Amino acid sequence: MATTTATLTLSSSDLLSDALSVSATQTLYKAGTTTGLDSIQYEKLEVPTGDVYDMIDATTAGANKANKVYVANKHTDETKYVEIYIAALLVGRLYAGDWMFIPLEAAAATQDVGVEAIGAAQHIEFALIHEGKTLVAS
Amino acid sequence: MATTTATITLASSDIADNSLSISNTMTLTTAGTTTGITETTGLARKKIASATEVDLISLANFTDITAQKSAKVYIKNTSTATDKYALIGIGEATGTPIYIGRLYGGDWMLFPWLALPTDADGQAASEADGGTVGHANNMDITIKMNDATETVIEYMVFFE
Repeated sequence: MATTTATLTLSSSDLLSDALSVSATQTLYKAGTTTGLDSIQYEKLEVPTGDVYDMIDATTAGANKANKVYVANKHTDETKYVEIYIAALLVGRLYAGDWMFIPLEAAAATQDVGVEAIGAAQHIEFALIHEGKTLVAS
Repeated sequence: MATTTATITLASSDIADNSLSISNTMTLTTAGTTTGITETTGLARKKIASATEVDLISLANFTDITAQKSAKVYIKNTSTATDKYALIGIGEATGTPIYIGRLYGGDWMLFPWLALPTDADGQAASEADGGTVGHANNMDITIKMNDATETVIEYMVFFE
C-alpha cells in the first residue's frame, strides 16, 4: 500500500477583517478503508478549442470508489480558461493558473471528466489517483 | 482588492518508483482578471444526521453568482470515520444530481462552481451550445451521507 497525502492551505490577510487561514490534510485511502490508493495517472497535455474532450474515462473498475482528481490549468493568460465537465455537466471554469481537487464517483461509464479550452488552446496537468481502471484490450 | 491564495501539495514517496511531489498555488481572482476575489461566505459548518439528499449550498443564497464569474467552493468532511462518506453532487436535491464524488472522513475538495442552468439539451448551458448564461436553482451543491450518523461538514464559497 502507498501513502499519498493531499494538503490544502487557504490563506488571506485582507479578504476578511481578520486573517483567513485554513489548512486541511487528507491521506488518500481506498473507499471505506485505511488502505492507501496505489494507482496513479499523471499527465500534461494541450487541450485544443472547439469541443469537449474526455480527460478521464470513467470505467467499471473505478466506479463508486474513492478516486481523486487534480487538474491544473498551466496557461498564463488570465483571460483564458478551460471548462471542466463531469458526466457532461459543466461544473466550472479553471482560469489560467487555477487548479481543482475533487473526489470522483464515476458511477457509470458515461460519467467521464471532460475539458474544453475556451479562447485558446491551453496546457493542463491532471492526476487521477485511483483504485482501479478497466483496461481496453488492444 | 483582496489577495487569497490556495495551495495544494500532493505527495507520496511510494505510489510509484519515483516520488510524487506536486505543489501548486493559485490566487483566487475574479473571472478573466488579476483582481482578487473579494467576497466569501466565510467558513461554515453544518451538522448532517440523515441519509437524505439535501442542499449543502443553495444557489438561492448567491444571487450575484452568474455564469460569467469565477466562484470556488471548499468542502471538508470533518469526521474521522474513514468508512463513512458524504456524496457531493450538483443539481437539485429533490431531483437527480450529478455526483462528483465521495468525501470520506477527513477528505476535502476545492473546485470551481459555474452554476449554469441546464438548457434545452438537458445538459449544462454553455457558450458553445448557445445556452443562456443566467443561473437557476438547478445547480445547487447537494450532499447525501451514506448513513444517518451525525457528521459535521465544513464549507466555504469564494465568489464575485
